[in-house]
Amino acid sequence: MVSDVYLFIFNISISVENEMMMLILIILHWLIALLLSPFLLGVISKVKAFFAGRVGPSLFQPYYDLSKLFQKSAVYSQTTTWVFRAAPVVALASALLLVLVIPLGGLDAPLKFQGDIFLVAYILALARFFMIAASFDTGFSMEAMGASREAFFACLSELVLFMNFITLALLTRSISLSQMIGADSPLSWSHLGPTLLLVVASLFVVLLAENCRIPIDDPDTHLELTMIHEVMILDHSGVDLAYMTYAAALKFLIFATVLVPILSGWTGVFIKDMSIYITGLLGLAIVVGIVESSMARLRLNRVRNLLLIAFVLAFFGFIVTMWRG
Amino acid sequence: MTTWIDASCILIVFLALTMLATYRIVGIIKIFAAQSFVLGLTPFFLHADGLTIRDIVIAMGTIVLKTAFVPFVLLWAMRHVSMRSEIKPIIGLGTSIVFGAMIIAGAFWVSLSLHLPGKPISDLMLPCSLSTVLLGFLIMVTRTRAVTQVLGYLVMENGIFLFTLSLFDVMPTLIEMGILLDIFVAVFIMAIIVNHINDEFERSPASVSRSKMGEAF
Amino acid sequence: MEHIFQHSWQVPFGEVSLKLDPLSLIFLLAVSILVVSAGLYGVGYMRLYRGARPVGMHIFFYLLLALALVVVITANNVILFLGAWEVMTVATYFLIVFNDEKAATRKAGFLYLIATHCGVFCLFLMFFLMSHISGSMNFDAIARTSFSPVVAGTIFCLALLGFGIKAGLLPFHIWLPHAHPAAPSHISALLSGVAIKTGIYGICRILWIMGALPDWCAYVLLIMGVVSGVMGVLYALGQHELKKLLAYHSIENIGIIVLGLGVGSLGRGHQMPFLTVIGFGGALLHVFNHSLFKGLLFLGAGAVIQKTRTGEMDRMGGLSKVMPLVSVLFLVGALAICGLPLFNGFISEFIIFFGLFQGLIHLPLPGAAACALGILALALMGALALACFTKVYGTVFLGRSRRAGEPVMPGDPSRWMTIPMLILAGSCVWIGLAPETMGRIAFSGGEYIAHLDSSRFNLDQVMAPLSGVIGGAFVFLALGSLLIFLRRFLLRRLSVPVNETWACGFSQVTPRFQYSSASFAYSIVNFVKALLLSRRHGGQLDTIFPGKAHVSSSVHDAAEESMFRPLLSRLGGVSKILDDNQVRHTQWYLMYIFLFLIFLLAWKMR
Repeated sequence: MVSDVYLFIFNISISVENEMMMLILIILHWLIALLLSPFLLGVISKVKAFFAGRVGPSLFQPYYDLSKLFQKSAVYSQTTTWVFRAAPVVALASALLLVLVIPLGGLDAPLKFQGDIFLVAYILALARFFMIAASFDTGFSMEAMGASREAFFACLSELVLFMNFITLALLTRSISLSQMIGADSPLSWSHLGPTLLLVVASLFVVLLAENCRIPIDDPDTHLELTMIHEVMILDHSGVDLAYMTYAAALKFLIFATVLVPILSGWTGVFIKDMSIYITGLLGLAIVVGIVESSMARLRLNRVRNLLLIAFVLAFFGFIVTMWRG
Repeated sequence: MTTWIDASCILIVFLALTMLATYRIVGIIKIFAAQSFVLGLTPFFLHADGLTIRDIVIAMGTIVLKTAFVPFVLLWAMRHVSMRSEIKPIIGLGTSIVFGAMIIAGAFWVSLSLHLPGKPISDLMLPCSLSTVLLGFLIMVTRTRAVTQVLGYLVMENGIFLFTLSLFDVMPTLIEMGILLDIFVAVFIMAIIVNHINDEFERSPASVSRSKMGEAF
Repeated sequence: MEHIFQHSWQVPFGEVSLKLDPLSLIFLLAVSILVVSAGLYGVGYMRLYRGARPVGMHIFFYLLLALALVVVITANNVILFLGAWEVMTVATYFLIVFNDEKAATRKAGFLYLIATHCGVFCLFLMFFLMSHISGSMNFDAIARTSFSPVVAGTIFCLALLGFGIKAGLLPFHIWLPHAHPAAPSHISALLSGVAIKTGIYGICRILWIMGALPDWCAYVLLIMGVVSGVMGVLYALGQHELKKLLAYHSIENIGIIVLGLGVGSLGRGHQMPFLTVIGFGGALLHVFNHSLFKGLLFLGAGAVIQKTRTGEMDRMGGLSKVMPLVSVLFLVGALAICGLPLFNGFISEFIIFFGLFQGLIHLPLPGAAACALGILALALMGALALACFTKVYGTVFLGRSRRAGEPVMPGDPSRWMTIPMLILAGSCVWIGLAPETMGRIAFSGGEYIAHLDSSRFNLDQVMAPLSGVIGGAFVFLALGSLLIFLRRFLLRRLSVPVNETWACGFSQVTPRFQYSSASFAYSIVNFVKALLLSRRHGGQLDTIFPGKAHVSSSVHDAAEESMFRPLLSRLGGVSKILDDNQVRHTQWYLMYIFLFLIFLLAWKMR
């Protein structure tokens, strides 16, 4: 039956023994992503606490927070409409869909086709549309203020993302994320070191920008005037906030998952790949923690310069790739 | 070793670009020091298989002169000549960065039709040095403070140095000429300090002061 | 697949030759679906004017325009084409100036008439050049002629100018943002949805006729597309008037279409059939898609404007509680125009992206660099369109009403107005979730333009990924409904209180606290202020305890303000000088005609 659904939906026929595999693969993807993503946020805050000389919250604090939120009721503003309630659902659903497009560790991506990079970019955009609309829906200026920044920085970070996609497409001669960063990716540091360095550096800035980390946005601040992501979800509560928070955690995991394989490469052995992947994720979380502890948040009108630099990095990578033919 | 040379070439251009995007002069000086340090390491990568005394002297000379001495003097000057700490760009930083990107693209495009005597170890050296020189030019053209002029000149000079390194084995005297340039720069900086040129070369009409209310966040 | 209808005609060189081929088919589909839905909508929309204004004449010109559109798209003869083109122009003019008691409307109509006639002048030159060389007025016959590269280049430039003015390509777009807001909304929908597409149709027809064009033409198309697209959406972002914003968005979408045509031409120049068909087919599919969602958005805007009696977005707000159905349909249009998955805009943008990436990977250096530019521009357009339409949807439909005075009456407009919107929205979703049918039609149009048959490439290369996209969309829908049920399950025993918005401790929050469309767009508009003529008046706080202050901001069209206005005022000066030197007697002019006649006779005698 699953194979029929698969045939209907994906227009790809798979054999009966594969269908269980595919189902297991999808469930494994969701399981890993859902279990691992809050942990990474825990690691970041632990690192930040370490640098601040505090003990800090437990590594599992994000799980406690989420479970608390899931048990609470939601409060809605009388100004809001169904768009406000749709935003958390769209955000989490799109994050979960994206998890299926990227190869996690040694696991192949269940949903892969030529051009899935556009799906990645535009699903992110779909979630963003609803987030921004929801912040307008509250009828107060703070939320829309954050949304305005989100829309602006998204323009720049999308440019950087696509510039990197261009470079990676040229290097791998493919436009599928699975082939760009997956197990059969031809990228190797020994040949392409400098280019990959540029790609990784600019993708790292995109990761910081898209996940609203310092120096672009401060996830811990409580000054509504200066925030981006946190101020947009100011009016969400209870289950809705849990959805939003989970979606944000998944988004971090997704961007980290794109970045880690470029850095680490693949061994071809499942266990090894998986452990490298998880170590890489943790390492990246630690790096983000260190960046957050050692830098101050940029003034908002300088964030665009940072993103522009990231763009030029990616552009430079593209030029070097073209130069090398 | 080519990878390392490539990486340092790219790093040099990138650092030149970050200078273009930095507001604080102290920051620019520090980035310049980093750039010179990378540049100083490059001779080691060039002859990794058989280091000669000459390599070591040139590398150490570059590092001492440009990573330690020049930044030190400039920082000292910053402190003692009571200069303002922010640059004064003619065009906005965002625009500068975009121009920088175009310049890099242009440098690579021009390099397609340039042919050097001998074969450089890395094919990135020529376009990267050209980009660095042009980026240095851009810094000089678009910034008005005296000290940023010097820094732009130094970046340009770093680019020239990278270029001469690519011809290391073919045209040995070029390197020495490069070091002469360094000394000239040192004199140039001294002149600034001695003459207390603590303001800009060219004065633009005082811009109308406007409320910063909207820009505070 | 061609159907030709032929009949003799008394006009010199003319014949009634109509041809239905895959290229006309896709345009004809767009025309028919939009003419019908905008017409139905018009019935409801014009009810307000019945008795007060000449509605009958409006209907006459509407039908005339529909006829002219069909003839333009199917004409197979130069004279017939140009005749129908003129009828279309004039009919559109009368439709635009329906509200001619307003000075702005009359001016917009006049500007439209002048601009399109400048275009027609180029078209006359181009067609007579083509017919002169080929010795025939029939498109099929002209297509069989081969032109030298210089002539082909000249024809291409004239076509780009002539059809570009009609299509609203930057910088020839200046009539467009004036005409769209001036016209009644169903006319704006028709104008934006199909009338400007006749310009695109013309360019496609020229690409079909010319066969091989010089290489630079592809780059010109690509760069025109990039410039129109990016600048169009940036201008749109700066607008505060709903229909003007939508008009600028049409320029953006025309840019995307021309970008697709550029990719196709690049592919044709490099003998890459797959790339050619992807580019042309993607562009054609976007033509159809844009007709659907832009028609939908204009119809929605018309309903909004009729309800609130203003086009200023910063005077609206909270309309989704007033008009729930219109707000949902408008959201569909907004999501589609942003190119978001589940809707049709994504499908055509996906195909164009796909083509651009194919070009990037397989073409040699200049082509690959141009494709990279196209990819970046398309990505930027997507992100900016998102900013633009969240702004529109957020300020118009969400939040609280910013209106001063009495609130608007709640209630959706009549069925005459909602059903056409439902049809269009339904088609948007249909293509978004089942692109197979329209995709095939568009690709066969692409094959037809490129004179290729489908045996030379495998279209499954792009159709299979599309079904992956659809698969993703269904998974998304399933996940979404699952999450909704999960939320309902979790909240089943808890009370869900409804309260005021948490306003960070502020009390007595008024609707005027809300972010306006201008403030939302400010960060982006300010970032590109070098490209836009953005002006800001007031808002300076110069004392410690400022009193009342006003701030207003506006974005002006650089092409209009710094290119055409100085140019035309200079031209006006020159004509004034000539005018002053003339003796103002009719006889003088008659003498000129007489002298010219003598000259012609003498020349013939020679």
